Amino acid sequence: MGTPVVLPSAPSMGKLFAQAALTARGRGGSLPDTHLTRVAVEVDPEQVADYAEVCRFRFGDTLPPTFPHVLTFPLQVALMADRSFPLALPGLVHVRNRVDVVRPVSVSEKLDLEVWADRFAPHRSGATVDLVASVRSRGDEVWRGRSTYLARGAYAPAGPVPDVPDLEIGDVAQAAVWRVPDDAGRRYAKVSGDVNPIHLSGLTAKAFGFKRAIAHGMWVKARALAALGGRLPGSYSMDVSFRKPLFLPSTVTLSTGQRDGGWDLAVRGAKAGTDHVLATVRPL
Amino acid sequence: MTRKAAIVGGNRIPFARSNKKYARASNQDMLTATIDGLVARHGLAGEQVGEVVAGAVLKHARDFNLTREAVLGSQLSPSTPAYDVQQACGTGLEAAVLVANKIALGQIESGIAGGTDTTSDAPLAVNDDLRKVLIAANNAKTLPDRLKLLGRIRPGQLVPDQPRNVEPRTGLSMGEHAAQTAKVWEISRESQDELAVASHHNLAAAYDRGFFDDLVTPFLSLTRDDNLRPDSSLEKLATLKPVFGKGEGATMTAANSTPLTDGASAVLLGSDEWAAEHNLPVWAHLVDAQTAAVDYVHGGEGLLMAPAYAMPVMLARNGLTLQDFDLYEIHEAFASTVLSTMKAWEDPGFCKEKLGLDAPLGPIDRSKLNVNGSSLAAGHPFAATGGRIVASLAKMLHELGPGKRGLISICAAGGQGVVAILES
Amino acid sequence: MSDWYRDFANSGIGSTITKQLGLPRPVRLRRYSPGQPLLDGPALVGSAGEGRLRAEVESVLKEDGVTVLSPVTADGEKGAKVAAVVLDATGVTTPADLAAAHDFLAPAVKRLGTNGRVVVLGEVPGEAPSPALAAARQALDGLVRSLAKELRAGATANLVYVPAGAEASVPGPLRFFLSGRSAYVDGQTVTLSAADVPSGDGGSTPLAGKVAVVTGAARGIGASIAEVLGRDGAHVVAVDVPAAGQALAQVANRIGGTALQLDITAPDAAQRLVEHVVQRHGGVDVVVHNAGITRDKLLVNMDAARWNSVLAVNLQAQLDMTQALLDAEGALKPGARIVAVSSQSGIAGNRGQTNYSASKAGVIGMVRSWAPEFASRGATINAVAPGFIVTEMTAKMPFGTREVGARLNSLQQGGLPVDVAEAIAWLAQPASAGVNGQVLRVCGQNLLGA
Repeated sequence: MGTPVVLPSAPSMGKLFAQAALTARGRGGSLPDTHLTRVAVEVDPEQVADYAEVCRFRFGDTLPPTFPHVLTFPLQVALMADRSFPLALPGLVHVRNRVDVVRPVSVSEKLDLEVWADRFAPHRSGATVDLVASVRSRGDEVWRGRSTYLARGAYAPAGPVPDVPDLEIGDVAQAAVWRVPDDAGRRYAKVSGDVNPIHLSGLTAKAFGFKRAIAHGMWVKARALAALGGRLPGSYSMDVSFRKPLFLPSTVTLSTGQRDGGWDLAVRGAKAGTDHVLATVRPL
Repeated sequence: MTRKAAIVGGNRIPFARSNKKYARASNQDMLTATIDGLVARHGLAGEQVGEVVAGAVLKHARDFNLTREAVLGSQLSPSTPAYDVQQACGTGLEAAVLVANKIALGQIESGIAGGTDTTSDAPLAVNDDLRKVLIAANNAKTLPDRLKLLGRIRPGQLVPDQPRNVEPRTGLSMGEHAAQTAKVWEISRESQDELAVASHHNLAAAYDRGFFDDLVTPFLSLTRDDNLRPDSSLEKLATLKPVFGKGEGATMTAANSTPLTDGASAVLLGSDEWAAEHNLPVWAHLVDAQTAAVDYVHGGEGLLMAPAYAMPVMLARNGLTLQDFDLYEIHEAFASTVLSTMKAWEDPGFCKEKLGLDAPLGPIDRSKLNVNGSSLAAGHPFAATGGRIVASLAKMLHELGPGKRGLISICAAGGQGVVAILES
Repeated sequence: MSDWYRDFANSGIGSTITKQLGLPRPVRLRRYSPGQPLLDGPALVGSAGEGRLRAEVESVLKEDGVTVLSPVTADGEKGAKVAAVVLDATGVTTPADLAAAHDFLAPAVKRLGTNGRVVVLGEVPGEAPSPALAAARQALDGLVRSLAKELRAGATANLVYVPAGAEASVPGPLRFFLSGRSAYVDGQTVTLSAADVPSGDGGSTPLAGKVAVVTGAARGIGASIAEVLGRDGAHVVAVDVPAAGQALAQVANRIGGTALQLDITAPDAAQRLVEHVVQRHGGVDVVVHNAGITRDKLLVNMDAARWNSVLAVNLQAQLDMTQALLDAEGALKPGARIVAVSSQSGIAGNRGQTNYSASKAGVIGMVRSWAPEFASRGATINAVAPGFIVTEMTAKMPFGTREVGARLNSLQQGGLPVDVAEAIAWLAQPASAGVNGQVLRVCGQNLLGA
């Protein structure tokens, strides 16, 4: 049976990253069936205000739709940092993220979080694993998240390959130009707790094989969603494919197009037109 | 004869004392939430209204297009046009007048007038000297030149200029100005405290009877104005020390002056036809309005006395006397402002010499004044006050029945004033 | 909905383990979404005795594109799964006739697929002229309730009593019990009455052009009701206390409805509601009394405030608002629908909830008493009694109690707010004109109070 483990508080991210790095070697096997949970989590309005500012959401009674990811992310990391997790956390690349906003969530709601691993599958350049999050309020599921991570060169146990089609978008037109500053990674790290060194500075990014610091994918996603503020269905999913890393600083464009009651979006390099992020927003 | 614009509804968020509940909310956050509440109350999601007009007194440079940005973030159709206005504390009422005039002229069928202000998220200005050095450094061609210029920055210059509630031309705060006027008109401490207590009691009673159920939408867990003290009493207020004015004659305290407040408000206006099409009740029509300004710098008039001058002009144009109204809403920037203004209207000398009238305008029936409370109790987020008053007064007149008249008087910084007539 | 136990039980290894341990294996229920076909497969239709509804049943099914198999042709296709089994048992006149019901159902149910549906139509026992006839008709109730408990994999069984003259009332309820809208309604009995039923089912927007008031709409089940009514085409007036105004505005804007901040226990609340619907909407078609509170304590420890506030919100306000709407000229539109939210606690009682259970039982009394008056106006009034719905109240329970409580029913899982909302939206439809004075439990056939 899936093992529910209830955590009394959010785990410390810095420690987890360190622990994961130290225990990176010699991992393998299958996914743990642990379900990490936290119950009745109260949202800190100050953190929401900071997050909204960095991602350019409006601050009000409604949580920014990507904010629950910030709440569940520490549980993801805790799960992956644990020795029972078959893949080494350092080097995992976030390649896909889907968020289902079942309904808008109020800042004052107490939330139950649940995170588990799913779909450990072979990939053409290694193996992928999904970290799934479910957020409930008073029993109702209000938010779901699915983060797909790629471990290059890793092997997944033989098994069925989940049938997840590549994300494709239709015609989009340029809607905005973003100048993404050098400190974008540090600013998002501060409000999200995602202190992965590849985002923090050129030096720490180099240590992990990147030529410069790269923007958090979830920040790009959040900011793109914020740009649609007021134009979203009440209940929707936003599926994002992270393509080429967005090196800091950069100038990028946001392009949008209305489709199927929702949106297609692309965040691309302003000069070369490199795809950084492709996304779809669809009503649920 | 042009048509009159109808006031069909309103919405505001509860007003919050500075740096409290709304400390992290920007003007745009508050205005958008307020518009969304108005949209929900009137079933306007996805609809386009003729125009949205609003403003803020304390505004960040990034908010140059505040109202349009708020509309884009709201549930209104993104094809709804919008523009910003600013007339200090008169902003909200002036916005309503602008929307009403366009409706009266047939240029639009409906519109939203509003205002928002935050003293918690007020813009900080860079010290002028520092700004000059930074611009020069930015323009410098070589790195050594740049470093040389940056080396000229002194620690004192790093302190930003705080926005202050002072008149640029006199260097006096609004409260100090009001204190001067209170002294001129010999407004007693007791009469000011009485007005303040009445404001709190009236506002609390209005909340209790559900008057604000269709005028206010909670925001950030605040359901009522947090400045409201239902248990306010003359005895308690008498213990407070004066904060404005000096020495023996000082009468103005923190209780009979409005505190710095954050909040936003909006009013929905339309032509009678538009209201009928949308099955919305016509609470009242905006009949007329008048602005005036006084020379408070060199002319010896009080900073907040301009409404006293605007009033006779508007009354004459409409063939009305000051007593021809069923309700009066005089914005309580300070209790003394309300009392000075009323005293001026009763004063034969002032009315003759300053207003050029043969007889004084006369007294106002105090039982008809600010009957559901005003700024002393609710607070006063500068640009949001006009919208609060217009929507509340329109609803009160509607409750009284058809043909009832209401008068609004709002004083504003810069020696200005806006007055208006509503009729149900 | 993430039901980790359900998901686990349906996973490869979980399936093996739960089977070996004999643990329940709840399935993902087939819930309604617009455009969904009535059934995912063919339906088996049969009769016991000389039934009078079979033609009606078959025409409804065919209208919705369902392949109808009769027992004879069905035998020719052994093994093929069916999505529904419908038995016309109106011809049952003696206990001996029940054997025919058994003869048809036994092989038919064997072929029922996942989330299958069994609907039995019978004559009303209370109207039977002889004890033997009444006994035979009443026997169907026991048969269906027990069958519902035997069915697995999300399948449900429900009974519809159709009195003579109420044949035209059948299509709406039949469609409901067959469709995904009734996913969490199991082991229930509904008695129809004769009524003027408009033809057609309204397609995907059966409530188009209707104005619906929903109280307690800011969150939870109320928000879900507002959303489902809005989805079905109604303009929703979402009502809740002023303090919940922010969430209320969001619900209203999400569904293009209207927010009305109103404390329904205020002395002038009913009058304000009437004025609002008359002035702003020219009257109301659907009223859902959903607002409710709990103030739990054992009776001996319960203070007057707890008792009074629960009765005021949950019962008195429903009475006052309904009466005011009846009294005011033009407030209730022709063919109006009132749906009152009751509770399983109002039927079965619940420790610590004497006040709540009293109020919710009172709602049932109210609905039954008012039904004839509503019928005379061509309107209906019904109650919906939710069982273990995973929501506010249940979330306060400890984890273990919740997990067990959620599975003490025939479907082995908790229901969702949307399940309650679907039942209410169905009762609100014009096609439900023949459902009046009924109490429909949305409980997955909970063991409590069954």
